Amino acid sequence: MIFIPIVGSVPVYLLGRLRERLCEIASLVITLIVFALSLYMYGSLLISKEGATFHFVEGPYSWLSGFGVDYYLGVDGLGASLILISAILSVLVVLGSWDLITEKKPIYYFLILLFEGSIIGVFCSLNLILFYVFWEIVLIPMFFFIGVWGGPRRKYAAMKFLIFTFVGSVIMLLGFILIYLFTTPNTFNIPELIGKIPFWVQLLASAATFAGFGVKLPVVPLHTWLPDAHVEAPAPISVFLAGLLLKMGGYGFIRVNLGLLAEASRQYAWIFIAFGILTMFYGALVAMVQRDLKRMIALTSINHMGFVLLGSFTGISASTAQAAVYGISGAIFQMFNHAAAIGILFMLSGYIHEQAGTRNIDELKGLRIGMPKTTLVLILGSLAGMAAPMYSSFLSEWMVILGAISVNRWYALTVLIPIFTVAYFLWMIKRTVMSPLPEHIHYHDLHNRAMIGLLLYLVPLFLLLIFPSLLLGIVDPLSLWLYQAAGGGR
Amino acid sequence: MNADMVIIDYVAIFTVGSLLVASLSLSKRAAVRQSLAFYASLAVLAASLAFTLLNLSIYLLSDSKPSYTNLFHVDPLSYFFAFTVQIVSFLVILSSRNYMWGDRNLAVYFSLLLFSTLGMVLLSFAADLLMIVVAWELMGIPTYVLAGLRKDNPFSNEAAVKYFLLGAFSSGILLYAISLTYGLTGTTNLIAVLQALQGSATQLDPLTLLTLALFIAGFGLKMSVVPFHMWIPDAYEGAPTTISTFLSAGTKKAGFVVAIRVFVVALPFLSANWTTAFAILALATMTLGNIAALTQRSLTRMLAYSSIAQAGYILIGFAVATEPAKTLALIGVLFHAFNHAIMQSSAFLAVAAVDRTMGRVSLDSFASLWRRMPITSFSLAVSLLALAGIPPLNGFWSKLVLFTAAIQGDMAWLALAGVLNSALSLGYYAWVIKRMYIDEPISSLEQGKIEEPPIISGVLLAATAIIIVVGIYPSLIYDLAKAAVLALG
Repeated sequence: MIFIPIVGSVPVYLLGRLRERLCEIASLVITLIVFALSLYMYGSLLISKEGATFHFVEGPYSWLSGFGVDYYLGVDGLGASLILISAILSVLVVLGSWDLITEKKPIYYFLILLFEGSIIGVFCSLNLILFYVFWEIVLIPMFFFIGVWGGPRRKYAAMKFLIFTFVGSVIMLLGFILIYLFTTPNTFNIPELIGKIPFWVQLLASAATFAGFGVKLPVVPLHTWLPDAHVEAPAPISVFLAGLLLKMGGYGFIRVNLGLLAEASRQYAWIFIAFGILTMFYGALVAMVQRDLKRMIALTSINHMGFVLLGSFTGISASTAQAAVYGISGAIFQMFNHAAAIGILFMLSGYIHEQAGTRNIDELKGLRIGMPKTTLVLILGSLAGMAAPMYSSFLSEWMVILGAISVNRWYALTVLIPIFTVAYFLWMIKRTVMSPLPEHIHYHDLHNRAMIGLLLYLVPLFLLLIFPSLLLGIVDPLSLWLYQAAGGGR
Repeated sequence: MNADMVIIDYVAIFTVGSLLVASLSLSKRAAVRQSLAFYASLAVLAASLAFTLLNLSIYLLSDSKPSYTNLFHVDPLSYFFAFTVQIVSFLVILSSRNYMWGDRNLAVYFSLLLFSTLGMVLLSFAADLLMIVVAWELMGIPTYVLAGLRKDNPFSNEAAVKYFLLGAFSSGILLYAISLTYGLTGTTNLIAVLQALQGSATQLDPLTLLTLALFIAGFGLKMSVVPFHMWIPDAYEGAPTTISTFLSAGTKKAGFVVAIRVFVVALPFLSANWTTAFAILALATMTLGNIAALTQRSLTRMLAYSSIAQAGYILIGFAVATEPAKTLALIGVLFHAFNHAIMQSSAFLAVAAVDRTMGRVSLDSFASLWRRMPITSFSLAVSLLALAGIPPLNGFWSKLVLFTAAIQGDMAWLALAGVLNSALSLGYYAWVIKRMYIDEPISSLEQGKIEEPPIISGVLLAATAIIIVVGIYPSLIYDLAKAAVLALG
């Protein structure tokens, strides 16, 4: 499953050298195949209701013998849901790139598939070193995406992105080495490590992984690469960045910190929760004052990812199983929803930039008259972004806040966050949509195919609002299991 | 096969070969002086490489024990390093077909390369301090000439003089350390030194410490350890780039194998002293190398400093080469030495290709290189990423082993310094990649495609393939290194 896109990327590149159109279609076919496979995997997990244990396990096959490095794959509820959303976003991103990417297509689609393969690898690795390998491969296509196809400040943004994330991840690697050396048996395999790591190692490793996952998520003092990278990247790549790359951070926190470093996470949850709340407030408040539409959306991500941190760590430190399930499942649910919601917003900002020539919120005026279809999508997308009760993002934020309140009443403060979010989205809509159209401006509206492509992002959000058990069915057992493994409820 | 036979075979192959190649320079016909010399030296190296591989596989398959003579140890460790340095010479000689072609003294050039290679091979086997000096000189003296091969180029002359002076200096220091050792123990054989020190290990007189310091300084000059690194950037920049490759990827590695023999095998009782020294040197070397590399405008100099920094990573292994982390640390040293030889050769030879076609190697001339020389820029990018330690390339695995050993050996601060340095080094490696793939060309004149030198391109692709294959299947080299370390006892 990882290797379909990675191996497929080479013929796509070669086809692209022949005829550019061919590589677009070929990569769509490959991403669709991956989507079908991930749907099958997800479905079988959902039907068997065993989201808490690892399935489709491959390995462990020894990779570096005597060093605990194995080739070891498998998915549980968390992995399966994130792989599913990765596959969905990859299909949609390939579709969206047909319009927005005009240069160097063969190598672009080559990198897209490489990215998809390695990010799926991240979500299903059961060996910490294998996980790290995929984690780092992700950086390379992303560096080139931002650097080659990006906006005016692309070089700066690409370098900043690379250095920030690399520093974070090498420190994380030290944490993994610590875990390996001071746990019996000496191994990097996640299932064998669960519950065996000594407490002091957990503390040190938590500090180290905080650097790696915190940069990716991002947690607020480590976030400064994000606005630059998201703004300079081309729109489809911003979707990958916000939709999938940030999820690597969230995935890491849940898989490693909650799963392996459970006691430390439970004991010192308040530190992570404090960072989470800081991240949420910071993201919301800074987003409010942005002029650039895309930058505002980028900061929305920071705001939303704070929920993930809050949810997972209130969950692990909760006193009742119910609250724990709300928190952790809410966090995973939030990741899934955010990926889809942010996808539509970023793609749309790409189209708006292309058609209006600007992304400055003050200069975009009268969209209601100028581009009615775009306006429709913009409003629908913004509603997803502000977690209106017509989408599942409402459910996930509600779950996280509910879980948080049942841990500590003061966390009720976070109810303010959705209010801020609604405020800046509405304010943006007021300025761009509800304003009169200046006479000298003529916009081109979206064409139908692009609009359908955009609306597809909303399908999972609708679906999960009506049937939340489609996702929670495989995530809830996992949350409960994580909570109990961490010693909660005893 | 017993140890004497192995050594005699090597000496015979190389000596006959290189004398033959040298005699070709007497010929009046340019074709003989050039082509024949090239093919002959290739044949010599191919033969010795095959010999090494054959012996190594016989050794591993027949499960034999290391064999000793008074002067030599024949064990997997020696084969490992002999193999590594011969690969480097092979790549260098192949690339010289494009890079040095047309030089008047080509036959001499090849012959000197072969002699120096013989020196490195003997150094990998040497187990007696006097033998080490002989092999050390055999390795060093031809390279002084090679660095100054371009007689009419003042930079090349400067490089040669600087390199020669410091090289002679290091040999002197080494000899002094050896005579002190002889004075202390009454022998120059490493095993005998070990036995002699066994009793008197605890009492540390100033003389022993001085000996240690002199050994470190003597080897450090070749291993490019800060503060003995001053000659490196100038020498690498002035010498022909193929020779810089040879120095950085080849002769430096030979320094490491002797250091293992002397410190880890012969002087383990003094480890309390030399591990601390190596830890400090490792920290200084990698930090200084990386920071200096950040500011360079010429790619040769940048690679020279990066090579210094990489030596720092290898020194981490020496710093923890005592129990409990000894095995892992030495595996890391061997593994990283091999990887570094390949990565550094690939990077330097890519620069050689650019130097040959464009005539300059400033960072600016790499702008938008991927349009002009796609193979060269691809290989350079891969080798730079490998040097930075990005998985799944080979450099990642050896660094992982080294850092793990550092934590296991209770020097977690060294591992932390190591990973931060890797991140720092990515700063300039990625900067070069950005130049090649993202930046626009400096002037509109420089956009045409350049014909890439065919053999160097082939060599680059081969080296890139090794980097990627070892990256995906690290056990290939890791197991070999492990066997070498375990046989060391």
